[in-house]
Amino acid sequence: MTASGPSRTAQILIGAGALLLAALLAWGAAGIPAQAGYAGIGPDFLPWVIAAALAVCGGWLVYEAASGGFRQLDAPSGAPRGDWVALAWVVAGLLANATLIERIGFVLACGACYTLAVHGLRSAQGRRWGGPGQVLLDAVTGLLLAAPVFWLFTRVLDVNLPGLTGTGWL
Amino acid sequence: MEIWSDLLGGFATAATPVNLLWAFVGCAIGTAIGVLPGLGPAVTVAMLLPITAQVEPTASLIFFCGIYIGAMYGGSTTSILLNTPGETGTMVTALEGFRMARHGRAGAALATSAIGSFLAGMVATVLVALFAPAVAEWAVRLGPPEYFGLMLLAFVTVSAVLGRSRLRGLTALFIGLALGLVGIDQITGQVRYTGGIIELMDGFEVVLVAVGLFAVGECLYNALYEGRSVSEINRMGKVHMTRGEWRRSWPAWLRGTAIGFPFGTIPAGGSEIPTFLSYATERKLTRHAEEFGTRGAIEGVAGPEAANNAAVTATLVPLLTLGIPTSVTAAILLSALQNYGLNPGPQLFQTSEALVWALIASLFIGNVMLLVLNLPLVGLWVKLLKIPRAPLYAGILVFATVGVYGMRQSAFDLYLMLAIGLLGVLMRRFDFPVAPVIVGLILGPLAEAQLRNAIAIGQGSAWIFVERPMSLALLLVVAAVLVLPRVLAWRRRA
Repeated sequence: MTASGPSRTAQILIGAGALLLAALLAWGAAGIPAQAGYAGIGPDFLPWVIAAALAVCGGWLVYEAASGGFRQLDAPSGAPRGDWVALAWVVAGLLANATLIERIGFVLACGACYTLAVHGLRSAQGRRWGGPGQVLLDAVTGLLLAAPVFWLFTRVLDVNLPGLTGTGWL
Repeated sequence: MEIWSDLLGGFATAATPVNLLWAFVGCAIGTAIGVLPGLGPAVTVAMLLPITAQVEPTASLIFFCGIYIGAMYGGSTTSILLNTPGETGTMVTALEGFRMARHGRAGAALATSAIGSFLAGMVATVLVALFAPAVAEWAVRLGPPEYFGLMLLAFVTVSAVLGRSRLRGLTALFIGLALGLVGIDQITGQVRYTGGIIELMDGFEVVLVAVGLFAVGECLYNALYEGRSVSEINRMGKVHMTRGEWRRSWPAWLRGTAIGFPFGTIPAGGSEIPTFLSYATERKLTRHAEEFGTRGAIEGVAGPEAANNAAVTATLVPLLTLGIPTSVTAAILLSALQNYGLNPGPQLFQTSEALVWALIASLFIGNVMLLVLNLPLVGLWVKLLKIPRAPLYAGILVFATVGVYGMRQSAFDLYLMLAIGLLGVLMRRFDFPVAPVIVGLILGPLAEAQLRNAIAIGQGSAWIFVERPMSLALLLVVAAVLVLPRVLAWRRRA
């Protein structure tokens, strides 16, 4: 257990999370018919096994966390405390991307995602906001990155990506 | 000399201009992403998987394998110059290589790692060509119980041997297996764990999980925790080795290759163990013990680099002959083969002989290309290290979108990718290994099918696993891997 590592409480929560997942799996497994047939074991067998195994792992994790913390834990890299604002910006970028991609097309949605994410990552580095000029520059960079990718994948490699127009250019 | 004619046929296929171009682009992309922190070969291949819809199998596999081995060459450059290992397999290189670079010997470290990688890659490819057909011939005789045993072994070694905690490794494995359950059961057609969401009927795409865990997770982790971390770049020197350095390097290369190859072939996965083993060996055998951990010893770079490349190349043996991936990248390659409807396994050597040999031939070609790309042109790649982190990681998200959305054109997958990315952040923060998740996800459904087939063969009885000697032996090995370390630790204390 290192001083800079995640707290004991957080570790217990992680173990509890595994237990919760196990419970969910078991609940789901109960709804799967056995239908074993000639195979001897049916489609519900492995779900039960995994649910049980995860329950054991989760319980053990909680036990380890409660009795001195996770064993052989490498201190995580980076700062001891998270920069949640920066994370929120990047998450916002990804959410914007997922929401917009089928409405305004790949290029524009990715441009928006890039702009938001780069702002978050930069703020994590403790840099001050560069003003609207910076945002514009980022947006242009994002579009200049996304557009060739779009052309390469849709035109050369025939991968389907949504566009705003039917022209194949945007 | 059947192998010879097969191999020559392979060269004939691999050396067509189009395939050479694919190999070259693969090697170049591989080196680039190896150099760049934050992107590994697995996630890169995953992001590029949508091209399997268009490009023919041989070309795309040559391309993907180029990325795979190229990343190992590129990763060592970053380890030496930046001290943040580009890849897990090059972690050990960072130990001595970075110290050498600190003391103005970056050039020698880069040279020994590139030449060592080349030598090991070549030798390992020869060994693959010699052994793989034999293994395939032997593997034809394996039935479902034995396959299940092999897969169990792969599960256990990937999760329990790698990484520091067996408990956390196994937890990660079961999370992967649980993800693998989602969707339609292959045997009965029963729908499991979809919660009525249509998008989940096909299950979790391995691309989605790999890109989420590695690319998106890495980006989120960076925003959350790594903003203030500073990394310093070492000065590059002339890429050159003195005669003394050559003399110290070549035995280490050979030993590294000898250690690395066997580890890659057994379903014990990964290149971490062989690289550490090679490092320990060199440290023990060296006549320059005073340089280890201080000025940086060239053997400590040469051996692990060779071991890494030999192991990486050798993972193709279990992948192609048994259909069992022993590393994350191999798991993704497996999924690429599945996209083409090709089932890796002993039959592959009969049904797709031309493809397999073209792949092996292209490994020879790729290694030559990589030596050229990484020795004279290393300065070019080093420039990539100057890209500031914020645009780099934000740019990665754009590529992640291509890979995940391009797979099946669903915006739902992008939300899922974000969720998996957040899971990746948690796993990294609490030191859970991620490789078992991927291996569990892709191998889980296959293992389940083998398990049920095996029990069907045993007419509903699980005794079949004990009655067949091969499968019994495999089960015993699995038990030993799980229990032995604990017993040894207990005896040492007693």
